Amino acid sequence: MITKIAWRNIWRNPTRSLVIMISVAIGLLAGAFIAAIYWGMGQERFRIAIENEIAHIQIHQPDFTKDFTQIPSMPQAMEMLTTIKQLDGVKAATMRTIAMGMLANATGSAGMQINGIVSEDEAAVSQLKSKVIDGEYFVSKKANGLLLGAKLAKKLKLKLRSKVVLTFQDKEDNLVSAAFWVEGIYQSYNTALDERNVYIHISDLETLLGLSDETHELAVLLQNDELTIPVKNTISQLYPNLKVQDWQEVSPDTALVLSTMGQASMVFVIIILLALAFGIINTMLMAILERTRELGVLMALGMNRMKLFSMILTETVILVLFGSPFGLLIAYGIIKYLSVNGIDLTAVAGNTMGDFGFGNVIYPDLPIDQYFQILILVVITAIISAIFPAIRALRLKPVEAIHR
Amino acid sequence: MDTIIDAHNISKVYNPDTIPVYAVNNVHLHVHAGEFTALVGPSGSGKTTLLNLLGGLDRPTSGNVVINGVDITQLSPSQLIDFRLHNIGFVFQSFNLIPVLTARENVEFIMLLQNVSKKERDQRVTALLAEVGLADKMNVRPAQLSGGQQQRVAVARALASKPKFILADEPTANLDSVAATKLLDIMAKLNQEENMTFIFSTHDQRVIDRARRVITLVDGAITSDTGQTPTD
Ligand SMILES: Nc1ncnc2c1ncn2[C@@H]1O[C@H](COP(=O)(O)OP(=O)(O)O)[C@@H](O)[C@H]1O
Ligand SMILES: [Mg+2]
Repeated sequence: MITKIAWRNIWRNPTRSLVIMISVAIGLLAGAFIAAIYWGMGQERFRIAIENEIAHIQIHQPDFTKDFTQIPSMPQAMEMLTTIKQLDGVKAATMRTIAMGMLANATGSAGMQINGIVSEDEAAVSQLKSKVIDGEYFVSKKANGLLLGAKLAKKLKLKLRSKVVLTFQDKEDNLVSAAFWVEGIYQSYNTALDERNVYIHISDLETLLGLSDETHELAVLLQNDELTIPVKNTISQLYPNLKVQDWQEVSPDTALVLSTMGQASMVFVIIILLALAFGIINTMLMAILERTRELGVLMALGMNRMKLFSMILTETVILVLFGSPFGLLIAYGIIKYLSVNGIDLTAVAGNTMGDFGFGNVIYPDLPIDQYFQILILVVITAIISAIFPAIRALRLKPVEAIHR
Repeated sequence: MDTIIDAHNISKVYNPDTIPVYAVNNVHLHVHAGEFTALVGPSGSGKTTLLNLLGGLDRPTSGNVVINGVDITQLSPSQLIDFRLHNIGFVFQSFNLIPVLTARENVEFIMLLQNVSKKERDQRVTALLAEVGLADKMNVRPAQLSGGQQQRVAVARALASKPKFILADEPTANLDSVAATKLLDIMAKLNQEENMTFIFSTHDQRVIDRARRVITLVDGAITSDTGQTPTD
């Protein structure tokens, strides 16, 4: 009977009930949508970081650092690369020899990380080949070809086939300079990185540094993210003297961005929930105010507080149970559509998204379990919001309520 | 005869700190089972307040109300709610049926609160609504009923919980004389045939004439009490 009264009370003022249902639906929709944007951006940032920048696993000497002029190198590089490429779950692996130095031409100079790469392996691990926007990706038979970032090229007025000089210290701490020519210009999602990295053939750099079968860095891309820890453990066992790090260790920033995004979206979701709570509290208080006399009569006749309380709560719960599926379905539909078609931010943000390591198109997406998390939050919020008006109803004194 | 209501020296004072209003002033009252009693007096004389005190809807400022041996002024708020549910029937001036429930459901509701079985509820609802002449209006909502019909549903609702007595605060005030007479006929019949005790307030002389005991209130105090006269 309590449910019956609650149910019929809903139909007494359909507009008001509809308002609560729609608020719940909108709350869910907005919450899921915000969460999806953040999650989508976080995922994109993560994919870019893994597939274009850091890969899943990196291997270095334990005392590896780019701050020294002499970066500690790992011996028997070729054999190690071959072994790792054959491990289960490894999609691609590459080695990099690194020198910190200067790039100069007639226009000016810039501090630079000079990366000696194995062109095919690098293309497989960090998609470097696909980032080339002008010229070619290490195809010329001519020695000393170089790949540099578009922004740097513009700054130093460099064109294809322009000459530049790279200067750095070799193995014996002698300053070496060598002339290179611009074979290609690339652009990645991360313009800040582009300005500080140039790429040359690993053999060219090894010769200049005086290294033989030694390398500074190995990057490993896996078939999927879940393999990170197991493969990392395998490699650690194979090379106990080397430092084997997963992406989180290599780039705590990326891990931090992901958790910050989660927190930021939580803040928005909480704001939405507060708005929802406010709406429900108001609307239900109004409903109770309108029915003061009736509630007084129920109390006078002998309806106890528990029953009165649950009657008012039931009313809200029914509305929430009807409103949520709509909100969830609409949210799911919109998010699924946008996860494929994306939201193009070029119009509002220009290319600034690139400065933060994002693409210009956002693909909102949300794993199913997060829809349910938001659903649970919304339902809890709605029920808690209904408690206040219900408590208000309990405070009524029957005599006063009846003679109102 | 059994005393079912025993009011000792009860007073109700409003605004005790500013300008005190003695809505009920030192009232002694005994009501026996089977009475058909009218509480009369001009507007503002304290009829509603006294009924509220007798029905446990309000607490006296001083004095005790003992119902069937239970001092209800000592009960906690939730004990009082439960006590009302099982012992007292109410009929209000403005009917106060639950608008979203049908006539049948309004009557049944009280028994649901009392956890009466479905079978017994059905039997009683049917019998009670027949008794007040509304067998054909069982599934109609209050808004579709006339004032007189609504008040008869209210009487059926008051009876449903098998109370010790029924308090009715100006039950005919919102009814025309035909409906008022019909309501009084039903109440009188229930009183005579089932020995149901009624205490009702009124200032309508035709209603007063139907009572077998008339208690007059002036300024919250009893100024006259005819005592119970035997059934005719
Ligand atoms: N809640 C209240 N606060 C202050 N005074 C009240 C209140 N309720 C009733 N009164 C006063 O108590 C007196 C008795 O009122 P009431 O019992 O309603 O009389 P009646 O029902 O006979 O018209 C009146 O003077 C009225 O103004
Ligand atoms: Mg009155």
